[in-house]
Amino acid sequence: MIIVSEDEDDSDSSPLFFLGQPVRDSVLNVNHDYRYLRMGYYVSAHAETFGVEVTPDCTEIMDAYRNPLLIEKARRNGLPTNGYRLVTRPNENLTIPAMLFAVNPFTNNSMKVVKSGSRLPGIIKKMSFDARFPVSLHPVTGEVKEIIQMFGESTSDETSDFARKFYEIFNIPICKLIVQIDDGKVILNHCEPAMEKEVKWDIVHDKLHEIRQKI
Amino acid sequence: MKLACFVEAYNFKDKSERKALSKFKSTAESMGHTFDFIFKEDISRVAEYNALFIRATTDPSNSAYVASRLAEQSGLKVIDDPHSIRTCSNKAILHDLFLKNNIPSPKSLLFTGDFSSVSLDNIFETLGTPVVIKTPYTRFSSHVEKADGIQEFISISKKLLRKSKVLVVQEYVMSDFDWRVGILRNEIIYLCKYCIPDGGWKVKSKINGKNVWGDTIAVPRESISPELKEICINLSKCVGDGLYGLDVKETSGGYRVIEINDNPSIYEGYEDAIDRDIYEKIINALVS
Ligand SMILES: Nc1ncnc2c1ncn2[C@@H]1O[C@H](COP(=O)(O)OP(=O)(O)O)[C@@H](O)[C@H]1O
Ligand SMILES: [Mg+2]
Repeated sequence: MIIVSEDEDDSDSSPLFFLGQPVRDSVLNVNHDYRYLRMGYYVSAHAETFGVEVTPDCTEIMDAYRNPLLIEKARRNGLPTNGYRLVTRPNENLTIPAMLFAVNPFTNNSMKVVKSGSRLPGIIKKMSFDARFPVSLHPVTGEVKEIIQMFGESTSDETSDFARKFYEIFNIPICKLIVQIDDGKVILNHCEPAMEKEVKWDIVHDKLHEIRQKI
Repeated sequence: MKLACFVEAYNFKDKSERKALSKFKSTAESMGHTFDFIFKEDISRVAEYNALFIRATTDPSNSAYVASRLAEQSGLKVIDDPHSIRTCSNKAILHDLFLKNNIPSPKSLLFTGDFSSVSLDNIFETLGTPVVIKTPYTRFSSHVEKADGIQEFISISKKLLRKSKVLVVQEYVMSDFDWRVGILRNEIIYLCKYCIPDGGWKVKSKINGKNVWGDTIAVPRESISPELKEICINLSKCVGDGLYGLDVKETSGGYRVIEINDNPSIYEGYEDAIDRDIYEKIINALVS
């Protein structure tokens, strides 16, 4: 197995170099951003086209990064969620407080928590680009938190079990997770790229060291 | 069976596309199935159906991908399936796929913005002049341009690199038309010539500032040359067993595959003009 990453110390190949070569070994693609059309995505796509195993594969990337797919997969695998609704226009029976996520090609970091019903229509209109794309709407029942997940480790103790389960199910080495803590229970709402400065790279480094020992 | 057809409002704007959609519906119903048009608000109810046919524009970042993947996970038969969407929607991935599987295609390189003279010279030495530059996500010729030399290449690629980290650069292959080969379950179901309009070099060209489409000429599918047939079926098998439209140029040196599309256009009076059973064949693939 080879490790592809921007970090020279930890990797066998940079993403850019990797894309120009044929692939023979299985690949561990370490990146804080796997968005479609970005380097993190292309590394996995390149490995897949050459028929080798890659972590994460493109199906896993898309399942984690598209909100309805994330919630559906979590539900199927017993990871707690509050469910989601897809809307393109405001309608009467939307309950607040709610959390909204864009399901469009352009928006990252889109989370909006809406507590007032009168603000909902404007936000849905904007986020949906005037009903061109759906918006994923989740009820808010607990305290909203952002954590960084790195190979099953979390940046916060109360979500460490959750992060481990998330990694087992979704196979995404590094990401930001938006969760709610409701009565001590952790609920999954969203997954998106982590910012480089948010990642604890020493944890990533230790994990990669462990993985290398096993190869 | 219960069939869902995922569409968006724009699919009903053009009269011949609208007619093709109602032909899918009436064909399915005459075969004893129900056929419902569903829209993006309905995506999460897709599991209520037995099969999903996607006619809205597909792309991994569009609603169509979400619909496709939710349907696949719920065990529905899906055209276009998620893997086909991911592969065919991206020309950088197709570049890899063609290389890996020795598909006869224009010489092609990935370009990520190395403007050193070594890199630029290498591009023109490898590909000749002119070169064709594309973003991976182009569709309907929207982000496909031609550069006649290094200066033009620099200005076009700088502009396109603002929209994409990776560009595909290719040898320019001249032709009067693209073969459009319609494939379903690795069999040819229709054949057309997509002609290049006079004064342009793409099927959809900008001529005197106006977008012009070339003619579509349907040709009987049995008349396809054995060589073209073999190339196309080999390629479609590399992607899957769905519905594809392949674009191929015919040159004195043989065929050159430009791309394989999932979600190929089917307009009444165009792709279906000769082989009229394509509706039935597609519905059959959905219910089998
Ligand atoms: N290498 C090439 N040489 C000549 N013409 C090309 C080349 N690549 C694409 N074209 C033409 O440009 C148009 C669009 O190209 P294509 O790669 O199919 O992108 P799109 O997905 O936007 O349709 C087609 O008409 C095709 O024939
Ligand atoms: Mg094309």
